[in-house]
Amino acid sequence: MTPPFAPWADPDAKPLIEIRNVTKRFGAFEAVRDLSLAIHEREFFAILGPSGCGKTTLMRMLAGFETPSEGEILLDGQDLSPIPPAKRPVNMMFQSYALFPHLTVEKNIAFGLKREGTPKAEIAERVTDIMRLVQLTDFARRKPDQLSGGQRQRVALARALVKRPRLLLLDEPLGALDKKLRQETQFELMGIQETLGTTFVIVTHDQEEAMTVSSRIAVMRAGELAQVATPTDLYERPDTRFVADFIGEVTILDGIVTAASRGGVGLSVMEGAPDLRIITPHTPPAGTQAWLALRPEKVSISRERPADADNALAGKVLDIAYLGNISTYHVALPDGSIIKAQESNRQRADRRGITWEDPVWVAWEEDAGVLLLA
Amino acid sequence: MKFGSIPSGLAIAGLALAGFASAALAEDKVVNVYNWSDYIDESILEDFEAETGIKVRYDVFDSNELLETKMLAGGSGYDVVVPTGTFLSRQIEAGAFQKLDKSKLPHMGNMWDAIAARTAPYDPDNAYSINYMWGTTGIGYNVGKVKEVLGEDAPTDSLSLIFDPANAEKLAECGIHVLDAPTEIIPAALKYLGEDPNSHDPDVIAKTEDVLMALRPHVQKFHSSEYINALANGDICVAFGWSGDILQARDRAAEADNGVEVAYAIPSEGALMWFDQMAIPTDAPNPEYAHMFLDYIMRAYVMAKASNYVYYANGNKASQGLLEADVIGDPAIYPSAETLENLYSVTAYPPKVNRKVTRLWTKVKTGQ
Amino acid sequence: MTRTLGSRILVALPYLWLLVLFLAPFLIVLKISLSDLAVSRPPYTPHLDLTAGWAGIKAFFAALDFENYTFLAEDSLYINAYLSSLKIAGISTLITLLIGYSIAYALARAPRRWRPTLVMLVILPFWTSFLIRVYAWIGILKTEGLLNQALLSIGLIAEPLTIMNTNTAVYIGIVYSYLPFMILPIYATLEKMDESLLEAAADLGSSRLAAFFLVTLPLSMPGIVAGCFLVFIPAIGEFVIPDLLGGSNTLMIGKTLWVEFFNNRDWPLASAVAILLLLLLIVPIVLFQRQQMKQEIGT
Repeated sequence: MTPPFAPWADPDAKPLIEIRNVTKRFGAFEAVRDLSLAIHEREFFAILGPSGCGKTTLMRMLAGFETPSEGEILLDGQDLSPIPPAKRPVNMMFQSYALFPHLTVEKNIAFGLKREGTPKAEIAERVTDIMRLVQLTDFARRKPDQLSGGQRQRVALARALVKRPRLLLLDEPLGALDKKLRQETQFELMGIQETLGTTFVIVTHDQEEAMTVSSRIAVMRAGELAQVATPTDLYERPDTRFVADFIGEVTILDGIVTAASRGGVGLSVMEGAPDLRIITPHTPPAGTQAWLALRPEKVSISRERPADADNALAGKVLDIAYLGNISTYHVALPDGSIIKAQESNRQRADRRGITWEDPVWVAWEEDAGVLLLA
Repeated sequence: MKFGSIPSGLAIAGLALAGFASAALAEDKVVNVYNWSDYIDESILEDFEAETGIKVRYDVFDSNELLETKMLAGGSGYDVVVPTGTFLSRQIEAGAFQKLDKSKLPHMGNMWDAIAARTAPYDPDNAYSINYMWGTTGIGYNVGKVKEVLGEDAPTDSLSLIFDPANAEKLAECGIHVLDAPTEIIPAALKYLGEDPNSHDPDVIAKTEDVLMALRPHVQKFHSSEYINALANGDICVAFGWSGDILQARDRAAEADNGVEVAYAIPSEGALMWFDQMAIPTDAPNPEYAHMFLDYIMRAYVMAKASNYVYYANGNKASQGLLEADVIGDPAIYPSAETLENLYSVTAYPPKVNRKVTRLWTKVKTGQ
Repeated sequence: MTRTLGSRILVALPYLWLLVLFLAPFLIVLKISLSDLAVSRPPYTPHLDLTAGWAGIKAFFAALDFENYTFLAEDSLYINAYLSSLKIAGISTLITLLIGYSIAYALARAPRRWRPTLVMLVILPFWTSFLIRVYAWIGILKTEGLLNQALLSIGLIAEPLTIMNTNTAVYIGIVYSYLPFMILPIYATLEKMDESLLEAAADLGSSRLAAFFLVTLPLSMPGIVAGCFLVFIPAIGEFVIPDLLGGSNTLMIGKTLWVEFFNNRDWPLASAVAILLLLLLIVPIVLFQRQQMKQEIGT
């Protein structure tokens, strides 16, 4: 069995891209602030964040359309800043796809190779190969305006990939597609990345997309990195309330650390209720303000207090969101805060006993939530 | 064609409009007159309006070709127009004019039989028109400059002044302008060659090509009005043009007192004598008033007033006693009987010949 | 089936428009071009005499012939005038394209908030009469005009330049007068061009110059073609500019046409020149449109 792909965990591995203390200012506005990041060969790396967080600026600096105000970006240990976009072994797939409307699919794809002065025969071969890979062979002679959105997206991908870049940048590559096509394409993209072994950096505001495709995700917030981690770690072990909230659904309860015991802490969230038990590697002193992040699917809901639950709170059903396969219950606690609990609908909705205004108990295990100190 | 600035014609029309609009509106008595620019004493129009209560709507033009385009297209809306004889005859042939009702023209007897005889080729017995003014086409020159270039005995009274390339070449230094009017220049070239200036034979007309093509490189411009100022300012030294225009240049130079002395000469070989005739279009809206206007113009004192103002000779014998001395006494305006003998007239070319003439003229002007 | 009269009229309106304002005048001119010059009102023959019935119509058509066209073909003046017009129009269009493209490019790259003002400035000359603007050029170009005065005063030339009454003046006049017609369509195509296309070209290895020729230029082609047609076609038939600014050596078909009609009052010949001019202009337009159609179908 091969070891899992995790070069970032290897202290001896040399990263492909090193971003060192990069700051980018537009006038007085700091789009990216003192940011450092390493991306490894063959990674499918996602930069995730709300709009305006600086993710696009970061990508444009990698492509060479912007130069850092401070700091440096290295590729294979070499400073990229003096190299113009045309000369970088980096290619970009634009959010708008930026296909040349006056050229056919074939010629769009061959554009970069022609610029390099690649021999004609080789161009033809590489273009044919890449068109087969992205299933565009039948559309070679069409112009972009005669293609569907998904086909255009694949032309843009093929055009960037055919140059065999060391690094492929994808700016919101699936943003223009409808949801169903987007999900299919995500898997295609992963398949292509695996086949070619090219390093991909994808910029997206869609956390689901980032979670699906990437090996690691960098969450950005206001020009800085909030957390860089694998999708699982990001979901299960967010560092901050921002990350926990940004990735997936979550309930955040704030409270005061009361006591540490049994490898965990107690958290007082409500007067009159028992302290919540949380397993955590942190050892905050008692009295510290802290937060509990709870994923709804880890919270159960019942009419009676479950006898063996580590943590249980009483409340009243405020709302039920029926999503087909699952239902999310919004349960109001006596102090007004709301906990979300999710149940899969193995039974028909009408046969489930719990409904609006019912008094219920929500319960979860001591290792179900994450204790956050920021 | 003489005196005043260009807008004066418009001013007259404006005056007429302003002064008599109310009366005209009330009775709607209007006569529409289309005459050459700067070609009348405006008080004549006012007097006519005051006497008859007919409003004069007065428009002006500056080329026979433009007038003819309107006449041949029809529906011009004018009651009285003033074409030159050669153009008149063709327009009569085309049916553009109506016969005059002589019973409505009691002053017809004032007209000068000598001029009527000259205009007979265009309009026998004045069936369609009466003469308004007449003049000659000749040589205007800057006295000082021509002497400077060609010496004291420069042939200023001969067509050879411009048609002899030896002279033209020298005069080109100080500038020659020639009328842009083939129907005036080709007869002169024929006269210079000793041919009949009124020849309609294409082969004879073709003989002028050599003369005109030899002249062509020495001509600064073929144009029918710019030479007035150019001559007056001393920018050119010779212009082949219309008598009245050149006399106007003479006066302008004298007024400006700029040391330029302009003179007009009728070439000794003979000169073209032209006649501007008043006629009534076939489709004139108010022929009644048109006759009244024509008859009014033929009054001796009216015609004398017009000539005294524009410094052109007229075809009205009775008016001569009322002309001022500097008009009747100027041989450039009223040539001597001897000179008059030497003046010739031309008739309109038939269409196909006209096409050849204009083609020849295009060649002269463009070299193509 | 239940089409109202109103909607029928609405549909027929464009056709009616073409019929009344294009086809009918064209047929009249065509008829005059087949007629003979005559001393009559109007100055050509034959005239259709409908009172004579069928015989009148037959006599009418029998009298039409191609004599005027033969005359045009036999005389090199007209072909020379046409060729000279083509040359003057062609060179003017090229100069207008070079200047117009630069200006349109600068406009399209100007900060967005300035653009409406700059476009306004391009259109501004239209608010003055075309004739007055051409007359203004006389004042600038004539021997003692502003241009010569300026050049003489800064000592660039010792003798005044003779520009007025030459073909150079005609070129200046045409380029100046038609420049907005070149700028606006090119600006329209450049302005809507996605700037990420240029970044994509750079990303794929193009220098700025290569990106211009490989992306910007081909994409602005519709604007270039439209602009060139808008300048070239009226320039061929231009009359006012060569008449006012050109010399007697300036030979242009529009001027020849004017002379035939107004100076020579030769309506049949003038009509024949007009018909030929129209045909010679229609040919390139039809060719262009066919090529455009082919391009659209071919892909």
